[in-house]
Amino acid sequence: MNPALFRLLVEATGYTVALSAVSIVAGLAVGLAVATAMLSRRRALSMPARAFVSFFRGVPLLVQLLLIYNLLPSVGIDLPGIVAAAIGLTLCTAAYQAETLRGGFAGVPRGLVEAADMVGLTPVQLFWRIRVPIAVKLTLPSLVSEAIMILKASSLVSVVGVVELTRMAQDLAASTYRPLPIYATAGALYIAVDWGIAGLGHALERRSRWGRA
Amino acid sequence: MLDPSFIVAQLPAVLGAAAVTAWIWAASAILGVAGGVGIALARRFGPRPVDLALKFSIEMVRGSPFLVQLFLLYYGGPYVGLSLDPVPAGLLALTVYGAAYYSEIIRGGFAAVPPGHVEAAACLGFTHAQTLLRVEIPEVAAVVLPALVNMTILLLKETAVLSVITVPELTMAISAIGSESYRFVEALFLLALFYWGLVEGCGVLGRFAEARLARFGVAAP
Amino acid sequence: MTTAAATVGAALSVRGLVKRFGDHEVLSGIDLDVPAGAVTCLVGPSGSGKSTLLRCMAFLEEASAGTVLVGGEPLGFVDTPEGRRRLPAARIRAVRSGIGMVFQQFNLWPHMTALGNVAAALRVVRRLERAEAEARAMAQLRTVGLEGRAGHYPSQLSGGQQQRVAIARALALEPRLMLFDEPTSSLDPELTGEVLNVMRRLAADGMTMVVVSHEIGFAASVGQQVAFLDGGRILLRGTPQEVFRKPRHPRLDQFLDTYLDRGAAMLV
Repeated sequence: MNPALFRLLVEATGYTVALSAVSIVAGLAVGLAVATAMLSRRRALSMPARAFVSFFRGVPLLVQLLLIYNLLPSVGIDLPGIVAAAIGLTLCTAAYQAETLRGGFAGVPRGLVEAADMVGLTPVQLFWRIRVPIAVKLTLPSLVSEAIMILKASSLVSVVGVVELTRMAQDLAASTYRPLPIYATAGALYIAVDWGIAGLGHALERRSRWGRA
Repeated sequence: MLDPSFIVAQLPAVLGAAAVTAWIWAASAILGVAGGVGIALARRFGPRPVDLALKFSIEMVRGSPFLVQLFLLYYGGPYVGLSLDPVPAGLLALTVYGAAYYSEIIRGGFAAVPPGHVEAAACLGFTHAQTLLRVEIPEVAAVVLPALVNMTILLLKETAVLSVITVPELTMAISAIGSESYRFVEALFLLALFYWGLVEGCGVLGRFAEARLARFGVAAP
Repeated sequence: MTTAAATVGAALSVRGLVKRFGDHEVLSGIDLDVPAGAVTCLVGPSGSGKSTLLRCMAFLEEASAGTVLVGGEPLGFVDTPEGRRRLPAARIRAVRSGIGMVFQQFNLWPHMTALGNVAAALRVVRRLERAEAEARAMAQLRTVGLEGRAGHYPSQLSGGQQQRVAIARALALEPRLMLFDEPTSSLDPELTGEVLNVMRRLAADGMTMVVVSHEIGFAASVGQQVAFLDGGRILLRGTPQEVFRKPRHPRLDQFLDTYLDRGAAMLV
């Protein structure tokens, strides 16, 4: 492959990685809020949270992206395509992460919470210092596979015109008439990033020395 | 919101597109499961090079976006003598994609069968084929069912991606109607509700089947 | 290494059996005759090779050297002048279906009822009609006292009941020889009795049995032959009286001390 083409694809991979990284981190924050709301005893909180998770897990991401991309301008919000794309990816991964984190919170041993309660932690301290770290640790492997999912799903934002790896490949394939090597290279670049994420996940798991309580 | 007469006027087109979504989904799920079983068995009983080649291919399919695979097949195919119309190209891509995931689920299911269950059959004089058919496959089926249902739901959501290569399925049809009528948002919202309902419905069916299988005492992996 | 001819009348004979896992030799030349119509108990510390020996008798493990003869028929391998030859799969299956095997983990098939588990081999291997197979299976369930649980799935049965169904399953093909691999080791103490009772009844009916067990009391009271394994060899063999008689072999004494509480050791 022409080195110039390859360099363009690698640069576009940077946009894909950045978009995915922003979405996964923002999605963790939103997902944490949604998971907490799902576990709330107040139905006014838990019902909408459940509906959110069910909706964003039930609707194809492409349809979500098309919806957000067209909805925002129609209600007078004019955002660049890449921001709309990031919002779409964030909401989608937030729904998946919320479901995983809910399981993580359920996996926090009750005894640890009781022990923290006995030494006088406030509910807020207990949440941030005990529940969240343990739940996140328990769900770290799922978080890694979710990051890989979002990386692959980010290819769909090409459909709403955001230039990332897949869109770049499309443009290059159309202008050079060499779709085979270009799409194959794009696929290989996605896989290379997958491996990077998986490696990062392993390193993170090794770094947090404390094991499952 | 969309006015009712508009919806009625579009109904035949929408129903036709829904039928395309439904049959592509069903066909890719059935062919995908069949392919997945075939791959799992070939990896288990076939020679080592076959196992390695399949393992590599599955990694490629699972590691890259479906959209890229679809483009590779649809736009790249003609350069190696594989010129397919949108519908067969979409069906083939979706089937290969599904088979890669299904095969991993099924392999996991075989790994979950305790070796003792196979040994018990061997001690009673079952042949390998009889053990596979009477002991392993039923056990694997019970273990992998929830994961298969999840994957099949995922496949439904992936059918929407086929609109990108102009397969006349629901997302494609609704987008066309939406842009003609300048009611894109409403049309997409109805589409989203439709998928949502279908996915939730499948989930309910899956949980029902899972509950029926629970009496076997086979825990999901 | 002895390669004496198999004793006439032995239901199962093991000659010069060696089993290695990689570099590790688990069995180092075992010779053993299992007399017909009697109970042979294999005892010994964990890692002594007793379960491996039993699994070699069922050809669940392939011996590295040596032979296993079941009713005079070689199982798995046969020694020929040209060397060791693996027998065809059909021959192995034929010899094996004359052996009933009972596992520590029961290994009932979870997708079949108790009756289905017992009837399966009659249907699949013997190719009997469904009604005939189920009638015979029901008779076997009756011998282990579980005809009332025929329609239950394994997950709906207690551990003791599961093991009794597993015994009925192993009896379904009317084997001449039953092998038991620590049949009570994964059971709660209050459930071991019902399984041992079924085994006692089988022994009383004249079934040839080989039992790997930590139930020294069972070995001493039901066994006609006891073999004490240590480090992959048979250290002691004889009647329970001969093996457990004082003064005991120091390794056996140590085993009884380490693996059993004093009270149980006093019983034998």
